[in-house]
Amino acid sequence: MLEAVHLTKRYASLPAVQDLSFSLHSGMVLGCLGPNGSGKSTTVKMLTGLLEPTRGVVQFDGHNIQDNLQAYRKRLGYVPEEAHLYPYLTGWEYLEMVGTLRGMAPHTLGIKLDSLLELFSLHPHRHASIGTYSKGMRQRILLIAAIMDNPDIFIFDEPLSGLDVASALIFKNLVQALGQQGKLVFYCSHVLEVVEKVCSDVLILRKGVVIAQDSVANIGQILGQSLENTFLHLVDDLDTMNVARDIVEVMKAA
Amino acid sequence: MINLLTDPIRHWWGYYRQRPFGRLVQLFVARIFRAGGDSDMEGLDLGMGLVLTLLALPGGFVSILLLDKYGTLLQWMRGTLEVDPLLMSVPDEYFFIVLSMTVTGTAAVWRWDAIFPDRRDYMNLVPLPISTRTIFFANLVAVLFLAGLIALDVNAASCILFPMVVGATQSKFLFFAKFAAVHAVGVVLASVFSFLAVFSMLGLLMALLPPRAFRRLSAYMRGVVVVYLVTLLCTSFAVPNKLLRPKGALPSWTLLFPSCWFLSLCQSLRGRASPALMELARLALPGIAALTVAALGCYAIGYHRHFVRIPEIAEAAMTASAPRRSRAGALLARLVLRTPFQKGCLPFVWKTMVRSEVHRLVLTAIGGLGLVLASQALMNAFAGAKSWHQAARSPEALSIPFILSFLIIIGLRIIFEIPVELGSNWIFQLMLDPDRQEWQSLARKAVLTLALPLVVIIAFPAYAYLEGLRIAFLHTLLLGIWSVLLTNIVLTRFRKVPFTCTLPIFKQHSIVLLLAVCFGYVLYAISTPEYESSALAQPLRMIGLAPVAAAAWFIPHHLDKSAIDIERKLIFEETATRTIEALRLGE
Repeated sequence: MLEAVHLTKRYASLPAVQDLSFSLHSGMVLGCLGPNGSGKSTTVKMLTGLLEPTRGVVQFDGHNIQDNLQAYRKRLGYVPEEAHLYPYLTGWEYLEMVGTLRGMAPHTLGIKLDSLLELFSLHPHRHASIGTYSKGMRQRILLIAAIMDNPDIFIFDEPLSGLDVASALIFKNLVQALGQQGKLVFYCSHVLEVVEKVCSDVLILRKGVVIAQDSVANIGQILGQSLENTFLHLVDDLDTMNVARDIVEVMKAA
Repeated sequence: MINLLTDPIRHWWGYYRQRPFGRLVQLFVARIFRAGGDSDMEGLDLGMGLVLTLLALPGGFVSILLLDKYGTLLQWMRGTLEVDPLLMSVPDEYFFIVLSMTVTGTAAVWRWDAIFPDRRDYMNLVPLPISTRTIFFANLVAVLFLAGLIALDVNAASCILFPMVVGATQSKFLFFAKFAAVHAVGVVLASVFSFLAVFSMLGLLMALLPPRAFRRLSAYMRGVVVVYLVTLLCTSFAVPNKLLRPKGALPSWTLLFPSCWFLSLCQSLRGRASPALMELARLALPGIAALTVAALGCYAIGYHRHFVRIPEIAEAAMTASAPRRSRAGALLARLVLRTPFQKGCLPFVWKTMVRSEVHRLVLTAIGGLGLVLASQALMNAFAGAKSWHQAARSPEALSIPFILSFLIIIGLRIIFEIPVELGSNWIFQLMLDPDRQEWQSLARKAVLTLALPLVVIIAFPAYAYLEGLRIAFLHTLLLGIWSVLLTNIVLTRFRKVPFTCTLPIFKQHSIVLLLAVCFGYVLYAISTPEYESSALAQPLRMIGLAPVAAAAWFIPHHLDKSAIDIERKLIFEETATRTIEALRLGE
């Protein structure tokens, strides 16, 4: 079980996340929603151990992850929000490097890479440098890097960004399959429909604070509306129709 | 036999490169050579082989050029029968030492952003099950490996060719071997020193400054290092003679030039050092040792302060205050920018020159060369002069703003060819009409708005104070006209928006261009001030320059007019040009 216990993170004096607590059980796919600046990325970075919380702890199987980060990361697959890859490496070289650094045996690594690249339709491009890849191809490389060592915990930060329809559909089904396999999945996204479809539970953040946390079905039932409307209702008092009208007015102004 | 030796090495390497640490070292070596920083920018990625070749070239070329000096036949023809090759080679050895320091230092400054692991490394490596300490040591090993590799590469040619050239007068192999060994020690140590000096300065800045201040100051510090390296190279014309004094103490400034330490080390290893040189030689090895310790310390602190805190820095740096708008800039824009094309593109050109590190660095290097040449001219102007008045009217003093304006104009023309972000060109391709032909005037304004005020600010007040308003006006007018004409010449048939095309490959006519630049420099910055110096006494003689000015105006104008329609269209070259083309004869 992965547990966030009273997590708080401050940058200088500004709080990015405040007193955040939740737990992620085996087989659970927890979606994390929130507008820009709500603290999603900071939460993800604390869960991966990239950032140390100002207060509170992240526990995995009852142990603080900071006590043995390497052991924790061995069991973690992470897809970051931005695909900062090395443009001069080929797709194959990059994945081979990640596999080596994860301590995978060379033989197994080669076989897995071949299969995964084939399944993600990247096999013909495996020896081209990443600099020539499209955004979607880079994203697929990140996905393969995250799953190839069969980790127990998955943290996905906007994983669908740039993916084509077929790859996105494959990925959504993959997330559900991972949940059914008993893996722990933390899924951050702006795309509400995807969260509604693939996640069993949802966590909604606003200005660094949890404002709702329940199963997707329960949240909708309580407020009697779709997740999109629930989200808008909870997160902001923003009148989106009015804002759109105002934008058009500004465009028309001389 | 060879297989017996290489097989264990190959086997060991095959095993080692599959280990996480070995893989990390490989990654860091490749990233330092191939690409650094957080950007995916392409265009200047030359590849490891070509970089190593380019670094080795200067030493090889200079060694071959020295055949003229050491060739026995040529010496016999000059009537020099008895020569002491060890004495004769001192200035050249000093030159090789400063050349190796300059080339290595410049390479280190060029890859400044890539020496330390950055945000991309953090995002890719830290989530993996490897400790930040492993990343630290892997990067350190990569940096030390590269320091050694560059030191060997930069000096490889000169370590073989220079001793061969010097040893041409001797028939003994032992002379060649001894000379080569001492020379290799001197130049390789000088190279390592130069690399470590840049590395420790980078680490020191990272250790002392907060990340935001470091990013701002970094570009200026790189500029200072480049100017120092150019100055060091220029010392090769004067310093060896000062060091070869047989008796008495050396000037105290020699202590500040590590190149002097290494030359003294070579001389003392050959048993040719005076007591003063022996003193200087004693600084070389402790200097390297101290610098190594300082570099490692600074690297460790800098790594801890910057790399380990990258996510915090990235999150905290999301907000930035609005830049201040300068009134002078707004006024200049209102006066200079006439069409929407110019109003859109010229600020882009100005901001790229100011903010892009690659462009700033190249411009700083050329500016540094300009400063060195200008200061030499200033020294020469005062060397034989009896008064300020006489010095100010000497060709050397008059040449100072000409030198600066020549290098600024040529420098700007060069950096216009360096692409900034080819992927962003679509905005210009979408918006600009390729038939309107405004880009030449855009480039001209970009050059003149920078070059003219700078030289006028230097020349006019100085000459108004020293020689009166009339001379100041004439000097500034000539300078202004010459700047405009040179700008027109260098922008002949220019049909790009600056920074939007791939870097041109080296072609056969590149050598002709290089020679043309040298010839242009002589005409512009040497001959013109000489003529001006004589004409200032009788200002009517200035009219003698009118035909030259007319020709300089007419030829580019005619070339532009005679271009066919297709040669006048705006171009966007975005395909990556190969530096080396394979013939593929087997296919």
